[in-house]
Amino acid sequence: MALSGLDIYKLLPKTNCRECGFPTCLAFAMQLAKKAAAVDKCPYVTEEAKAALESAGRPPVRLVSIGSGERKLDIGNETVMFRHEEKFRNPCGIGFIIDDGMADPEIKKTLRRIHELTFERVGQKLSVDLIAIRQNSDKKRFCDVVKMVSGNTACGLVLMTGDKEALQDALELTKGRKPLVYRLTAENVSSLVETVKRYRVPVVAASVTLDGLSVLTAELDKQGITEIVLDTGMKPLVEKIWDMTQIRRLALKKSARSLGYPALAVIDKTDRFEECMEAATYILKYGGIVLLKGTEIWQALSLLTLRQNIYSDPQKPLQIEPKIYPVGAVTDSSPALVTTNFSLSYYTVLSEVEASKVPAYILSVDTEGMSVLTAWAAEKFTPAQISASMKKSGLENMVAHRNLIIPGYVAVISGELEDASGWKITVGPKEASGIPSFLKNLYNKPEFVNS
Amino acid sequence: MVEFKVTFFPDNKSVEVPDDTTILSAALSAGVSLNSACGGDGVCGRCRIILKKGRVVTQPNGRISAEERSRGVYLACSTSIHSDVEIEVPAESRLELESLSPQDVELRLKGKYAQAEEVDIPVPGLVDGIFSGVPLVEKISVALPQPTHQDRVSDLERLYRAVSRPGQASVPLLTGLSNIRRLGELLRAADWRVTVTVNWREGSREIVAIEPGNTENKNFGFAFDIGTTTISGQLVDLNNKKILGTKAVYNRQASFGSDVITRIIYAQQAEGLEKLHHAVIDTMNQIIHDLAVEHGVDLNDASGVTCAGNTVMIHLLLRIDPAYIRREPYVPTANTVPVIRASESGIKINPRGLLYCVPGVAGYVGGDVTAGVLSCGLDREKDVCVLVDIGTNGEIVAGNRDFLIAASASAGPAFEGSGVTCGMRSSKGAIQKVRLNRESPPVYETIGGCKPRGICGSGYIDSIAAMLKAGILDKAGRIKDGADERVREGQYGREYVLSYREEADADSDIVITESDIENIKRAKAAIHAAAHILLKHCDMDFKDVKKFFIAGGFGTCLDTDNAVILGLLPDIDREKFIFVGNSSLSGSRSVLLSEEAFRKSGEIAGKITYFELSVEPAYMDEYMAALFFPHTDLNRFRGAL
Amino acid sequence: MAIGMLQEKWPGKVNETVIGADKSRGGTRSNVVKTGGEASLPFLFHEGVFPHKPVIAFEIWDTAPADWPDELNKSLSGVYNDPLAWADKCINEYKAELLCVKLQGAHPDFGNRSADAEAKFISRLLKKVSVPLVITGCGDDAKDNQVIPACCEAAKGERCLFGDAVQDNYKTLAAAVSADGHSIIAESPIDINIAKQLNILISDMGLPVERIVMNPTIGAMGYGLEYAYSIMERARLAALSGDKMMASPFICFVGQETWKAKEARVSAVEFPSWGPETERGIIWEAMTAAALLQAGADILVMRHPKAVEKVRGYIDELMRGNTP
Repeated sequence: MALSGLDIYKLLPKTNCRECGFPTCLAFAMQLAKKAAAVDKCPYVTEEAKAALESAGRPPVRLVSIGSGERKLDIGNETVMFRHEEKFRNPCGIGFIIDDGMADPEIKKTLRRIHELTFERVGQKLSVDLIAIRQNSDKKRFCDVVKMVSGNTACGLVLMTGDKEALQDALELTKGRKPLVYRLTAENVSSLVETVKRYRVPVVAASVTLDGLSVLTAELDKQGITEIVLDTGMKPLVEKIWDMTQIRRLALKKSARSLGYPALAVIDKTDRFEECMEAATYILKYGGIVLLKGTEIWQALSLLTLRQNIYSDPQKPLQIEPKIYPVGAVTDSSPALVTTNFSLSYYTVLSEVEASKVPAYILSVDTEGMSVLTAWAAEKFTPAQISASMKKSGLENMVAHRNLIIPGYVAVISGELEDASGWKITVGPKEASGIPSFLKNLYNKPEFVNS
Repeated sequence: MVEFKVTFFPDNKSVEVPDDTTILSAALSAGVSLNSACGGDGVCGRCRIILKKGRVVTQPNGRISAEERSRGVYLACSTSIHSDVEIEVPAESRLELESLSPQDVELRLKGKYAQAEEVDIPVPGLVDGIFSGVPLVEKISVALPQPTHQDRVSDLERLYRAVSRPGQASVPLLTGLSNIRRLGELLRAADWRVTVTVNWREGSREIVAIEPGNTENKNFGFAFDIGTTTISGQLVDLNNKKILGTKAVYNRQASFGSDVITRIIYAQQAEGLEKLHHAVIDTMNQIIHDLAVEHGVDLNDASGVTCAGNTVMIHLLLRIDPAYIRREPYVPTANTVPVIRASESGIKINPRGLLYCVPGVAGYVGGDVTAGVLSCGLDREKDVCVLVDIGTNGEIVAGNRDFLIAASASAGPAFEGSGVTCGMRSSKGAIQKVRLNRESPPVYETIGGCKPRGICGSGYIDSIAAMLKAGILDKAGRIKDGADERVREGQYGREYVLSYREEADADSDIVITESDIENIKRAKAAIHAAAHILLKHCDMDFKDVKKFFIAGGFGTCLDTDNAVILGLLPDIDREKFIFVGNSSLSGSRSVLLSEEAFRKSGEIAGKITYFELSVEPAYMDEYMAALFFPHTDLNRFRGAL
Repeated sequence: MAIGMLQEKWPGKVNETVIGADKSRGGTRSNVVKTGGEASLPFLFHEGVFPHKPVIAFEIWDTAPADWPDELNKSLSGVYNDPLAWADKCINEYKAELLCVKLQGAHPDFGNRSADAEAKFISRLLKKVSVPLVITGCGDDAKDNQVIPACCEAAKGERCLFGDAVQDNYKTLAAAVSADGHSIIAESPIDINIAKQLNILISDMGLPVERIVMNPTIGAMGYGLEYAYSIMERARLAALSGDKMMASPFICFVGQETWKAKEARVSAVEFPSWGPETERGIIWEAMTAAALLQAGADILVMRHPKAVEKVRGYIDELMRGNTP
C-alpha cells in the first residue's frame, strides 16, 4: 500500500537539516511519496524506515516485459482501478493469433497485413505489439512457422503450445527475442517449468479459478519465475470482466502478491465486429494483453485508438484544438478575440461571446492547455506565439479589419503584440463575464476621437 | 515640444505635460490620487474622470457606456491630452488615504472586531508573556567609571563592559566606525553619563547610537504589516510595550495594479521597480511621520522597524526585482533577508536604526504568514489547527508543533472590496451586515453607522447568504428573474439593489451584480479548495481541525454562519472559529517587542513546508467543485442551510 | 490458501427513470422504457442488482440532415424528408424500442419552424408511433425556450424525456417538463461538478431527481472519449456511494458525436491506409457505444442501423450473465 507524505514524514528524523536538498523533512517526504526523490538522499534515515519505504514502494502489479529491442512490450505496473485516480500506465498489448495450420503464403500475407497496421494519431505512432503462433499441427510444422514468423517480424512473440519438445525447440529458435510462453497450468507445470527457467522467458499461468491461479503463481515464484501473465481461460464476456476486475482489485486492495500480475484474454469469435468489441472491453477492463484473430484495418485502427484514449494521462489539462472558432453569424467585420486552448478558458469565453449576441471570432492559441495567466507566466502566451498563431490560423483571411481583442490580464503585452503582428490591439476585460458589455459597447460606439 | 496645461478639479491643481500624455500620468505629476486598480491597463474602469474642457484622444473601451461617454466620462489611463484641458475627478475615482478611528484601531488590535468580547486573542509577549527576553531595541543609560592608571581599559571596552548583561557575555557587541570616532569626545563631554541604544542583529548586539545624558525613557519602534492593498503601521513604546497608535492606509502601489502579479509586471517596465519601491516606502514614511507627530515622538528615538509582508511586497520594499517569483518554478530572490539599516531602504527613522523583516517561506507564502503563525501560536498547538488569511492572496497554514504546511491561492481582492461593483474597504460607510426579509426592504448596518457608501467583504458575505436564503439566488450564483422587485437588468447584467441612491451616500444605487457574485464565488472557492487540499495531503478533513483561525481585512465583523452558507468556511463546529484580525501586524509587533520572538519567527519560517497548489491536479478539480453555493458536495455542508 | 473474492457492497444505487406512459400510466405508449436502477458498477452482476438493460434510442430529425455522411445516407436518406416514415422505418425495420427526435428544424438558421408547428409535429408523431420518445431541442437557447414548452404541452401525459437543460438555461425547460409530467435531460460540458450542480439546481426547481437523466457530453473514440468515460465512472462511483444528486442515469449521444469523427466519415480513397469506410464508420459508432456502456451508459442515442444491431448484440451478450 502506498504511503502518504505524512506517513513517510513520521519515519524521517524531522530535524529539517536540509541536507537532502529539500527545505523541510515534510517537503522531502512529499517528494518520496510521489517517487520523485530517493530515500538515500537523507543521511540520517534509519534502516527500519528504509525497509518500510521499500516494501511500500513495491508495485502491486508486476511489470512484465515481452520481446526485445524497439518493439519490446511492457505491461503491468498498474496502481489504480480507475484511470481518474491517477492513470493507467502501460498500455494493453494487442496481438494477433496465427495458426500453424495456415498455408505459408497465407501466413506471409497475414504478416504483411499486420505490419501495415501502423497509424499516426495526435503525434503518436500507434502499432500492434504481438504475434502469437498457435500449435495445431506437429512439432516440426510449429517450429517452421515460428521460424518464418520470427524472421519476418520485429513484434513480440507468443508461443502457444503445451508440447514440451515443441516449446523447447521454439524457444531455441527465438533465443534473445524473449517470447511469452502460453501457457503453464497445474497439469503441465512440472513438465515445462525447467525449460521455461532455462530460457528466462515470461510465461502465461492459466487456471479457470483465481484460487488455482494463485497456487500456480506461488509455485512459479518459488521456482524463480516472476514474469507472469494471468489467464483464466475462455469464458463468457461477463465472467471474464469479473475475473479481470477481481485480479486487479485483489492485487491493489488486498495486496495479493500471487495475483499481482497483468492479465491476458484470448478472443475466439468469428464475427469481426463482435471480436473487436470484446477486445475493446478488455482494453477498458484491466486487460494486460488481448489476442485476437481478425486483422482488418478498421479493427486495428479502432482498438489502437481506444487504447490510446484510455491510457492517456487524465491529469493533463483538457485542451481544445488551437484554431479559429467562429461564433454566430460572423462576417469579415466581426471582432476577433484571442484566448488559450485550455478548454475551460475557451468555453468560458465562448459562452460569454454567445451571450453577447455579437458574432465574433475566437482564436485559441496553443498554450498546452494552460489558462491565460499561467500560460503567460510560463511564456506560452507571448506576443510572438500569438502572432504566429494568428498567421497559422488564417485569421487575416477571415476578417477585413486588423483589430484583435486580448484578455485584460495580459494587457501588458499589447504594445509588443502590436509590433509583432502589425494589428491594432484592444485590451478586453479581465474576466470573461465582462465580455458581453464590452462587445456591445465596442460595437455601438466605434468612436475614437472626441474634440 | 508642445506642452499643455492640465487642471484637476475640485483640487484646482495644475500641471504642464507634453502632448499625448495620459490623464493618469498627468494626475500623478499633479499630485492628484486616482484609483487605478489594474495599473493603467484600461481594464478595471476605476479611473473615470469627467472632461470639462479641451481635446483628448481615447481608446475605445467597454467600461464606458454610451450614456457615460455622452456626459464626457473617460478612463484616465486610456485617454491622452492634446490641448489644455480641465478635468473633474469624481469622488469614487479617488484613491483615499485614510486613518482608522481610535475605536476601530482598538477593535482591530484585539483582532476581534465587533465581537470583541466573544474571543480571547493571545497577543504573545504582550499579554501572557509567552515570549520573554528583551525588545529588538534597548536603551541603556550608563554612568561609566572614569579611566584611571589602575583602570586603563579603552573607551569602547569600557562602554561594552557597562552595557553587557549577565548571561549575555557570549553575545558579541558591535559598533560602527562613525560612532567610535565620536566616542572619546562624547564620553568626556557627557561626563561619562550616556544612553546607549543597542539593537539585536543576527546573534549579536549593535550599538547604533550613543547620546549624552539619560534618554532611556524615549525608546520607540514601529511594527508594520505590508499588505498588497493595505499597509498598517503601529507606534510602540518599547519600554512599557504599549501601543501608542495605529494607522492603516492604502498601499500607494495600488495605483500600479491591484494584485501582486500586476505589480510584478509593472516592476519589469522602465523605472517600474523604482516607482513601486518608492510608493511603498512613501506610504510607510507617511504612517511613521503621522504617528510620530500625533504622539510627539522624535524619530531619532525610534531605532527599530519590523515588517511582515508577502514575499513580493518585501522584494519591492527592498527594491529587489520580483520577476522570478512569477515564473515557474516561482522562486524568490530571498525569503529571509538580513537585518539592514532602515535608511538603506529609505525608511525615515533614526538614520542608524535597523529594519527587521519577518522571514518568509516561499514566493507566495511570505513573512506575513510566518508572523500570523507566530501570533496565533499555531506552532505550539498539540492538535492540528488551521490559519486562513483571507486577502488578495489567500494563505492557508495547517499544522501543529510537529509540522506546518502552507499554501497560497489566488483569491482576488473581492473580499477586500476591490474588483466588485460597489465594493470598498472596511471603513466608514461600508455596509457590513445585511438581513433580508421578503416583506420589507433590506436591513443593513454600516461601519460608523452612517449612510452607506459601498459594501465591504463581510457585507457581501451577508448579502449573498441572505439572497440565497430568500431564493433570490440559485446555488450557482445566478439571480432569478423576477425573484424580487429589487432585481433588475443593469448595465453589467442582472443585479440586486441593496440600497437606492436616495438613501445612500453615493452617486448611484448600491447594487450587487451577478458578476460580483461570481467574483466572490471564485474567491471563496479558491480559499476553500486550497484549505481542503492542504488538509487532504495531511490525511485530514476539516472536522479533524481543533482550532480554525481566520485572519484578514474583509470587515469589522463576520457572520460565520453566513460564511459557511457561502462555503467560504467549512461546516464545522462554529466554536472552533477564532478571529485574529490582522495576525500579520500582531506577529510583526511581537517580533519588535521580543528578540526571542524574532528568532522564533526564523524557526517557524524554516519549519513551514510550502505546498505548491498549481502543480497539484486535484486542486483544479476541488476548485471547480467549490464554485457553487455552498459547494457541489452538499454533504459537506449539511449544517449550512 | 484460498483467495476470497473482493466484493463491493454499495450503499447507493442509480435512480430509476421511466420513459413513456402506457395506458396504465395515463398515456398511449405501447411499451415503456425503464432505465437506471443499477446497484453495481457496469455488468458486475455479483455485486448488486442491474434491473434494466441499457437501451438504444434511434436518432431521427424533424428535417432532412444536410451533412450526414454517405454511410448513413445509404440506409436512411430515403426517409429524411418524411420524419414520420423515418420513425416508422426505425421501429418496423430496425426494431427500435425508443426514438430520439431532434427538433433541428426549429433552429433559426435551419428552418426556423415555429413552436406551434413543432408541437403539432410531436402530436402527429405520437399518433404515428407507439414507442416512447426522447425529444431534444435545436440548441438555440432562446428558441428552445419557446419550442420545448409547446412540445411538452402537446405530449402531456406521455412521459417523454426532454432536453437539453444546461446550466445557463434550465429554468424554462425544467418548469415546462415538471408541469406536463415529463422528464428532463441535464447536459453538462464534460464536467462532473457542473453535472451535479445542474441536478441540484433542477431539483431545487421542484422536479424530482428521479425525472432527471444526465447527458455528460461525450466525445467519440479518438475525440475525447476518455474524458466522458472517466467522468461517467466517477459519477457512477459517487452514485453507488450514496450521492443521490449524482445518481441519474446517463444518456449518451453516440451517433451525433461519432459521425462527426474523421475516422467515421472519410473514404478509403482519401485515406487508403485506413481501409474501407463502411466497417470503419460502423465500428466507430459501435465501439464508442461499447466503451460508454462499460462506463455506465444507460441510454445510447445512435444512428447507424448496423451499429445498433451490433451494440444490441453486445448488450444481450453482457446481460445473459445477469442471472440473479
